[in-house]
Amino acid sequence: MRLFLLSWAVVVLAGAATAGLAAERFFPYAYENYMLENGFKSILIPMKGSGLVAYYTVVRTGSRDEWEPGKSGFAHFFEHMMFRGTEKYPASEYNRLVAEMGAEANAFTSDDLTCYYMVIPTAKLEAAMGLESDRFRNLSYEEAPFRTEAGAVYGEYRKNLSSPMRLANETLLNTAFDQHTYKHTTMGFEQDIKDMPNMYEYSKTFFSRYYRPESCVLLIVGDFDPAAAKPMIERYYGGWKPGYVPSKVTAEPPQQKERNVEVTFDGRTLPLVWIAYKGDAFDPSDKMVVSAYLLADLAFGENSEIFKKLAIREQKVESIDGDFGFSRDPKLYDVYSRVKDENDIAYVIDEIDKTAEKFKTTPVGREELENTKKRSRYGYLMSLDTPDRVGSMLARIVTLTGGIETVDQLYATMADLTPEDIQAAAQKYLRKERRTVLVLKGAKS
Amino acid sequence: MLLTVVSMAKENQIVLLQLPDDPTVSFRILFNIGSQNDPPGKEGLAALTAALIAEGSTKQHSYEEVLALFYPMAADVSEQVDKEMTVFSGRTHKDNLDEFYALFREILIEPAFTEADFNRVRKDYLNYVETTLRYSQDEELGKESLYEFIFTGTPYEHNEEGYVKSLNSITLDDVREFYGTYYTRENVVIGLGGGFDRGLADKVKNDFGGLPVRKAARLPAPQPRAIEGLQVKIIEKDAQSTAISFGFPIDVERGSRDYYALAIATSWLGEHRSSFSHLYQVIREARGLNYGDYAYIEHFPNGYARNFPPANVARRQQIFQIWIRPVPNEARVFAFRAALRELQKLVENGMSEADFELTRKFLKGYTLHYAPTTMMKLGYALDDRFYGIEKGHWAMFSKMLDELTLKDVNTALKKHLNYENIKVVFITPDADGLKKALVNNAPSPITYPSEKPAGVLEEDKEISVYPLRVMPENVTIVKVEEVFED
Repeated sequence: MRLFLLSWAVVVLAGAATAGLAAERFFPYAYENYMLENGFKSILIPMKGSGLVAYYTVVRTGSRDEWEPGKSGFAHFFEHMMFRGTEKYPASEYNRLVAEMGAEANAFTSDDLTCYYMVIPTAKLEAAMGLESDRFRNLSYEEAPFRTEAGAVYGEYRKNLSSPMRLANETLLNTAFDQHTYKHTTMGFEQDIKDMPNMYEYSKTFFSRYYRPESCVLLIVGDFDPAAAKPMIERYYGGWKPGYVPSKVTAEPPQQKERNVEVTFDGRTLPLVWIAYKGDAFDPSDKMVVSAYLLADLAFGENSEIFKKLAIREQKVESIDGDFGFSRDPKLYDVYSRVKDENDIAYVIDEIDKTAEKFKTTPVGREELENTKKRSRYGYLMSLDTPDRVGSMLARIVTLTGGIETVDQLYATMADLTPEDIQAAAQKYLRKERRTVLVLKGAKS
Repeated sequence: MLLTVVSMAKENQIVLLQLPDDPTVSFRILFNIGSQNDPPGKEGLAALTAALIAEGSTKQHSYEEVLALFYPMAADVSEQVDKEMTVFSGRTHKDNLDEFYALFREILIEPAFTEADFNRVRKDYLNYVETTLRYSQDEELGKESLYEFIFTGTPYEHNEEGYVKSLNSITLDDVREFYGTYYTRENVVIGLGGGFDRGLADKVKNDFGGLPVRKAARLPAPQPRAIEGLQVKIIEKDAQSTAISFGFPIDVERGSRDYYALAIATSWLGEHRSSFSHLYQVIREARGLNYGDYAYIEHFPNGYARNFPPANVARRQQIFQIWIRPVPNEARVFAFRAALRELQKLVENGMSEADFELTRKFLKGYTLHYAPTTMMKLGYALDDRFYGIEKGHWAMFSKMLDELTLKDVNTALKKHLNYENIKVVFITPDADGLKKALVNNAPSPITYPSEKPAGVLEEDKEISVYPLRVMPENVTIVKVEEVFED
């Protein structure tokens, strides 16, 4: 049985490079960057054989960019509106054409990005580009369908209401941040979601600010010919006018002391302990950030001492894991555990504290570290097995830095890390004054 | 990577999908046993046994050691148990093939079944049923309850994870006995895919050929009771929204012409997680009542978390099913009526020529997305063996898309689907109120926070009085804390 427990956690990059390969060239496929004059960048990655092409348009805007009060959740809501058509292809026509292509087409929004994708048979590449470029350049919709879509978004919020992780995630972010927009989830505050039907005018501003060639990156991955794709890109995207307006995100002031919050889920659930340490912004050449990424697995992953003790030997917890992910601005490094008995919550927190202390005072074994690097590299390589998976893995990295050179940089940095680097990261990040401790309990037990 | 199949061997109990340029190797070991083999009172035994194999110690290594050995390979073994089959899968980079396979083999063939592992895994299952399924996964709860409702009195009745009472009654000896009885040479089918060589295939064949020989009669396919009229189960739960699932058994099996005819119609009516779905267009797109609405002719577990179904959940008895994602409580009857009315229209009028042509085009491309990876291709090849589809399901699907006519589809619709004899499950508060509304066939008008086109409002008038013929004796109310208790 696999529990989809952490589906609410922030999505992060899985790991990366191969031991035998030169560290500076880890990403396993050849690729080409292609830049238009208007600032629109495409990354072309041929993968022969499948007959499919993954077409990913990454908008480097997510719920992080919702800096204006009352506008939380808007990036995600806007993602829905992008399916509401243009003058040339009204929604019904867009849907019909996508259906005719046999495309698997959808979109997702996260804190740092909004991503639209289609996986299509190779022969449909130009048709897909015609449709996608049109809606990014010419989106247009009336107020009534806008209001209806707001209802569907509230429906999406509602389907998540029965999940304790939603409540935990919402509460944790709201407690951990004061100023930065990471304070709200990608879905947004409920009162803002309810008010969405009234934001028709604002939606046009949002489109005009963020859906611009300089802030979008196109990834084409799969069975196609880059030489033929380039003139197509020029034709369909060349006339797109630049004009990106950066969002005014306020930096989060340094946290001075530990924050604690307890929350009750209106139903039955195993208690959840979620400890979130303030992290740093992603930088693939920053040893501290890359060390933190490995530290999560070393200290709290499924081969860690604390997992073996609490989950296997003592059976006090159903799960424990760490996730020190990558984000555009400094966000959170999470440790979470589903505890079997409410009476053990304090004990589990204490064990997490002891683990943090150990990593601060004692360097990890060299073999342990090398095994973790190896795991990260193999995990990443094995995940790149279809055009769609390559597209989805890269979308997240592209939003952070604008390019995929980052993957090689990240794994080069990782290759050089020493036990002392890991220790330094533990000393920097695993500090009580940098953290928020959330405890969630069920109302019924 | 260039994925070219150089050989596709299907011997009696081995399926090889050799892709020399694939840098990984995929293993899929299937046993023809599942939750239908659970003894009465021991529901959940097949699932617990499989979980204990995949997440437990072997005779040579403790579970901790197993995790440590897999760790640098970024590999693991995962298990999946359905009514008729249990499958273990694992995938490794070629660099680590020897170490991986040695451990994978050990896990499946030499499980230790320790008391400590048993306690841990059983507790996870109990928590899943008692807390997660009942209280935090309304959508999956609705679907599982629908299967239970439709297959009452058959070996398909209980959910694979079992009941609270039965899980508590299962002992480690039960697990050992189940493993001894069913993990046999007759029941195993080996699937290997990716960049392996023939030597590995022979080794695997040899290793699993060493499982004990013990012939057991195959259970007959379940015979669900005929459904008369609209039969309703209301699972009462304090919730802000209502999850709805409804359906009935169908006598159509993957591989037959009628299956593909129904697959075309069902794709049009409700392709999973796709805006192509007509129900999605009616309930979500035009009316904004929920997040999506879909239809199925095969089991699709964990639909909330995946866009395409897993392989190896093959069954001899499937149901036709409509899944309405949570709607506001006040719209629960309206949404149910809207979906039922669309089903009636489809069965009575059939698909239109234009919709049929569009769906064929859609599926020509869309079916390519179901099995993009070696692991999924392997899974479908194993299912082909179960259903006896010589040419392969996806090749058949493509052929049928060319061959089937609109008449074939509409005839199959009338023959296999209906809109009157149906079982429906609601997860919702105020069960009495709902019962009353259904039994009285009370109109369920709807209002919207936003302006709607005149066509939608006109249609709403018809939907809100769409006749529901529900007899009071055909409504059962269950409290959520009683669900899957025993």
